[in-house]
Amino acid sequence: MSARGAARRGGGYDRPSPRGNFELWSWFFMRISGVLLMFLALYHLLWWNLIVGVHHLSADMVRERWTNPFWRLFNVALISFAMLHGLNGARYSIEDYVRSPGARTAVKTVVYTLVLASLAIGVYALLTFNPDIPRIR
Amino acid sequence: MANTHRSTSLGTALRYRGREGMWTWILHRVTGLGILLFLLIHVVDTALVIYWPGLYEHALNIYKSAFFRFAELAIVFSVLYHALNGLRIVVQDFWPGAMLRQRQLVWAVAVLVVLTILPVAWLMLRPVFGLGPEPGAARFEAASAGTETTVQAPAHAAAGVRL
Repeated sequence: MSARGAARRGGGYDRPSPRGNFELWSWFFMRISGVLLMFLALYHLLWWNLIVGVHHLSADMVRERWTNPFWRLFNVALISFAMLHGLNGARYSIEDYVRSPGARTAVKTVVYTLVLASLAIGVYALLTFNPDIPRIR
Repeated sequence: MANTHRSTSLGTALRYRGREGMWTWILHRVTGLGILLFLLIHVVDTALVIYWPGLYEHALNIYKSAFFRFAELAIVFSVLYHALNGLRIVVQDFWPGAMLRQRQLVWAVAVLVVLTILPVAWLMLRPVFGLGPEPGAARFEAASAGTETTVQAPAHAAAGVRL
């Protein structure tokens, strides 16, 4: 075992040792995306919950808004930053509370798959949206 | 028993007196994980809008229920708290002087969250109790009235009525 490997295995219960600068970039990303999300997410909540009102929502209203590419790109940015910020936050919690290596890998696999699949579905829908798409009721 | 992984029991964790720092940290985690859970559902149901609008309306009917209005308020609270507390963390990270005032900053965040969520809660919950209109009702009615005018105008014109 290399000296580095031995040092890595030393502690026992802390988070996995940093791979390169990954944890530094993770820290930096949380701050940048967090500040961006303050504007994106709070605007989204203000608009749909208070200005439009969930009670008045309909599929037609959303489709009409999505005819404007600006709002589709806004939503791509919102869900991308929110999902990646949330995924990294979930990783912190998993690494804090799920201690056994096998369970940790299993939980991470499930959570990463769910979050990335949901993000992929959302981005796909936003980027391929076309108001002329025939509706399947 | 519980010490296999050097972890602490829930009782010990709650007796730990981390004061403001501990509680804001716990709430930051809980709100963050809660937002992520809702986000997963919300992105998938909204994605249905392009191909299956009928199914989306079904999801909307759940969102329009009185029960879900409380859940929506919880989501707004979570995002608001997570945003302001996160901003406090960023400020403390980049501006060491702020770290010395972290306890005051925690209380500033708490006051801002309460002052913001109270009027929002009033606006979102009052229709549930019959105490006021739905948020956006005036805007929605103005838009519907606009549509009716454009529909009726040709009828008047066809009848030869001068407006």
